[in-house]
Amino acid sequence: MTDDTTPMTDGGTDGEARTDGGPPATVPPDDETPTWSERKERSQGLAQLTYQYFERSRREDEELRAESTYVERDVLGFPAWPHETLRNLAITSFFIGIIVLVAAVLPVHFGAPANPGSTPAVILPDWYLYWSFGLLKLNPINPGLEVLGGNILLGNEFLGIIAHGIIFAAITLVPFLNKGSARRPVEQPFWSAVGVTGVVLSFTLAALAIQNFFPIGLDLLFTLTFLLPAVGGIITYAVLKTMREGYMYDLNRRYYMLRPPK
Amino acid sequence: MSLKKQDEMDHNAWLKKQDLTVIETAFLTTLIWLDKRLRIVDYLELLETMYYRANLQMPKSHTEQYDLDNKFWYWYPLYSLGSLSIIAYLVAAITGALLGFYYSPSTAGAAAQGDPTAAYDSLVLIMTDVQFGFMLRSIHKWAAQFMTAAVFLHMLRVYFTGSYKEPREVNWVLGVVLIALTLFFGFSGYVLPWKQLSFWAAQIGVEMALATPIVGEWAAQLVFGGFTLGQATLVRMYILHVFVLPFVVTGLIALHVGIVWVQGIAEPH
Repeated sequence: MTDDTTPMTDGGTDGEARTDGGPPATVPPDDETPTWSERKERSQGLAQLTYQYFERSRREDEELRAESTYVERDVLGFPAWPHETLRNLAITSFFIGIIVLVAAVLPVHFGAPANPGSTPAVILPDWYLYWSFGLLKLNPINPGLEVLGGNILLGNEFLGIIAHGIIFAAITLVPFLNKGSARRPVEQPFWSAVGVTGVVLSFTLAALAIQNFFPIGLDLLFTLTFLLPAVGGIITYAVLKTMREGYMYDLNRRYYMLRPPK
Repeated sequence: MSLKKQDEMDHNAWLKKQDLTVIETAFLTTLIWLDKRLRIVDYLELLETMYYRANLQMPKSHTEQYDLDNKFWYWYPLYSLGSLSIIAYLVAAITGALLGFYYSPSTAGAAAQGDPTAAYDSLVLIMTDVQFGFMLRSIHKWAAQFMTAAVFLHMLRVYFTGSYKEPREVNWVLGVVLIALTLFFGFSGYVLPWKQLSFWAAQIGVEMALATPIVGEWAAQLVFGGFTLGQATLVRMYILHVFVLPFVVTGLIALHVGIVWVQGIAEPH
C-alpha cells in the first residue's frame, strides 16, 4: 500500500506538459465580440432591417412597460397545486363521466351492411356534417343562362363544393376584416349579427339536409333556409344597437384605460 | 457502523432524514434514480434557463388583471371548451386504440352484394363477443360527438368574444384548419363500419370529389382510392383515421395550444 500523502495518479501532473489542450479557447475575447450596433452597421439589406426592427420593438416594449400601470408580480393567479390541479381534475372527471354516462344510456346502434346495389331511402352523414350535406342541395339557386335555354353553368355538386369553399374562406377571413379593439357583442353589433346569421344558417342548412323529415313544402323550406338567418341577423343587429348606448356607459372604465381605442 | 461511504451527496441518507409522505418518497426515489443515470437536473436547469430567456411569464388571470372577480364566473365554462375538446379527443384516442385491436379494414367475405364484410363482422364481434366491446364503441362514438360539439362551440365562443383579433389571427386560421380536420376525422370514422350509411356517405364524398374540375379525379384517387368504392377506399379511410389524422391533428393541437401559451389567453371582459 502507498502512504496517504502521495496522491495516486497515473504519472503525476506537470504544469508545462499538458495533454488536455489547456483552457478552452472557444470564447472570443470581449473586444472581438461585435456589439449590436456594430452588427447592424455591418449587415445590409434585410438583415439590417431586421436588427433595426428588433431595436425599435425592444424600445417600444420598454416604453410601454414604463407607461403601464400593470404591476408585475412573481406569483400570479392561483397556485398550480392544489387549486388549479384539483379544479382541472374535477372538470376532466366530470366531463369524462358525462361521456361515459351518455354512452351507456344512449348506446350506438348499428345498421345493415353496405350494399352497393341498393340505395337507401335516406342517406345522411353524422349530425355535424348536416350543414355540409345541406349545401349539396342548393340546386334551385344554381344560376342558369337564359341564352342557353336555362342551362346551368355549374354542376349542382360543384356548386355545393364552391359553397363550402366560400364558407370556409369567409370564416378564415374574419380576423383580417374585423379589426379594432371591440370585443363584446354589444361593442360590435354588425359582426355579432354576422355571427348569428352564420349560426342560424348552419341550422337551417341542416334542416334542408334532412328535408324529408320536415312536414313543410320543399319550396317553403328552401326559402326559410335563407330567410331565417337574415331575420336572425337583423334582429340581433337591432337589439345590440339598442343595447349599445346604455351598455357602453356601464362598461368598465378601467378597461378603456388599459386598452385605449385606436 | 456501515462500511459504505457517507458523504454530503448521499441522497438516500438525506431522503431518510426527511419526514416525507409515501408519494413524495416515491417521487424523490424515482427522480434520484433517474438523475443518477441520466443527469435530469442538468436538462431541467437548461429548460428553466430557456424559459426565462424566452421571457415567458405565467399569464395573469384575467379576472385578476381586470378586477372582475365575482362578475364573470359564469363565462368560465365557455372558456373551457377548448380543453374539453382535447379531453374528448384523448378519450376517443384511447378507446380507438382498443377498438383497433379487433377491427379489420377489409371488404372480404361478402359472397353477394349486401352480405356482411370482414369489417362489418369485426364490428359485430366487438359489439357482441368482446368484453365491454359495445360500451367501448359507444364511448368512442360519443367522445367523437362531444369533441365535434365542443370544437364548434369553442369556435363560437372565440367568435363572439372577439378573441381572434390581433395578434391571434394565425391561431384562428389554424383553428379553422383543425375544425376541417376534425370533420374529416369524423367522416373517415363514419365510413369504417362499412354499413349502408357508411357506404353511401362515402359515395357522396366520391361524387363531390369527382364533381370538382381539374383536381377532382386526383383527389378521389388519393382519398378514396378510386372512383368506385371498395377495399381500397376502406383501407385508405382506415389509415387516414388511425395513422395520418392522429399525427397531424395532435401536432396541430399542440401548435394551437402552444400559440395560446405564448400569446396568453384573450381576456374576457
